[in-house]
Amino acid sequence: MHKALFAATVTLALLSACKPAPEQANAANSGANAAVENAAVPVSAPVGKEEAAKIMHERHEGMEKIGKSMKALGREMMAGTSDLATVRSSAATIADLAPKASSWFPAGTGPDVGKTHAKAEIWQKPEEFAAKAKDFQNAAAAFNEAAKAGDMTQIKARFGDLGKSCKACHDSYRAKHAD
Amino acid sequence: MTATAPSMPTDTKQRVWDLPTRLIHWLLVALIAFSWWSAENGEIDWHIWSGISVLTLLVFRLLWGIFGSSTARFAVFVRGPRAVRAYLRDPGGWRSAGHTPLGALSVVALLGLTAIQVALGLVSVDEDGLNEGPLAGLVSVDAADTARGLHGIFFNVLLAFIILHVAAILYYRLFERKRLIGPMITGRAELNPDAEPMRPVKWWVAILCLLVALAFSRWIVAGAPPFGT
Repeated sequence: MHKALFAATVTLALLSACKPAPEQANAANSGANAAVENAAVPVSAPVGKEEAAKIMHERHEGMEKIGKSMKALGREMMAGTSDLATVRSSAATIADLAPKASSWFPAGTGPDVGKTHAKAEIWQKPEEFAAKAKDFQNAAAAFNEAAKAGDMTQIKARFGDLGKSCKACHDSYRAKHAD
Repeated sequence: MTATAPSMPTDTKQRVWDLPTRLIHWLLVALIAFSWWSAENGEIDWHIWSGISVLTLLVFRLLWGIFGSSTARFAVFVRGPRAVRAYLRDPGGWRSAGHTPLGALSVVALLGLTAIQVALGLVSVDEDGLNEGPLAGLVSVDAADTARGLHGIFFNVLLAFIILHVAAILYYRLFERKRLIGPMITGRAELNPDAEPMRPVKWWVAILCLLVALAFSRWIVAGAPPFGT
C-alpha cells in the first residue's frame, strides 16, 4: 500500500502544479495585505489600490496589444512576400507602447496586490528591471526605424532583436502562472 | 522481432508486446513528461520538437495498429461494448494475449487524447508571438491564441487519464495480483496455455511504418499543404 499512497501523493502534487490562470488585473482580490511587502523596496511609495487597479489593467491591455502586433509581424516575417503596410503599422504600435512599459510597474502593482504574472523580483531588482525595459524600448525604436526604411533584411534582423528583448525580460520577470 | 516465438522449455512466458509497441509506449512516457517540463520552464523550442516527436510516434502507432503484430492491431484488440461488458462480468474468462476489451478503451483514449493535444499544439502561437506550432500559419492569430489556451487546459484532461491508467495498473497489481509493467518492458508474460499467442510481423514492416511516420512529420514541420501559406 505504500506504493499506492506514494503514487497518489505524487499525482496530487503534480495536478496542483498545473492550474492555468489568465492574467487579470483583479483589484477586488487585493485585500488588506496589499503593499506590506513593498515597504522594503527602495523605490517610490506604492501606489494606492485604485491607481494600482488602473495601471495593472492598462499594463495588461498594453502587453496584449504588443503581443498581437508581434504575432501579426511573425506571420509577415514567415511569409514569402511581406506586406510592408502591416509591418509598419505593427512596428509603430509597438514603438508607441514600448516607452510606456517603464511606467507600467510602479511599486504596489505586484502579485501581492492583484492577480498578475508580474513577479515580485521586478521590485526587488528595480535597476536590472529598468535596464531591461530600456533595452526593449530601444529595440522597439530600432525596429520601427527599420520598418520605415523598408529593407526586409534589416527589418528581420531588428525583429529578431526585438523578440530577444521581450524574452529577456519575460524569462526573468514574468511568472508562468498568475498568483 | 524474429518471425516465430520459439517455445522455451525453461520459460513458460510468451511474447505479448513486440519491440515497436514497447518502444512507442516508453518513448511517449518520456516525451510527454519532457513536454510538460519544457512548457513549464519556457523551453518552447524544445517543447515544439518534443511535440513533433510525439506526433511521429502517434503516426507510427497508427500504422503499426494496422500493419503490426496482432496484439498491436486495433482491429484485433478494440472490441465492442458487449465484449467489454462480458469482460467486466467475468475477467477470468478473457484468455487471449494482449489488451483486454477494457484495456483497449484505455489505449484508444490515451492515444486519442494525445493526438488532440498534439493537434492543438500544432496550431498554437505563444503569448509573445515569438514561437508557434508549424501549422499555426494555417489559422487566424485569434484561433492560434485560443488553441494555446486550450492546449494548456486540455493537458489536464490528458493528465487525468494518465493517472487513471497508472491507477488501473496499481489496482491490478494490488488486488488482482497481475503484473502489467514487467511485460511492457520485456514483452513477455505468463499466459494461459490455451491463450491465442501473439502473431508477429516481419521486422521491415516496422521500418516502413517508421519511414512513413517520419515523412509525415517532415511534411507537418514544413507547414503542411504546399508548405505553409
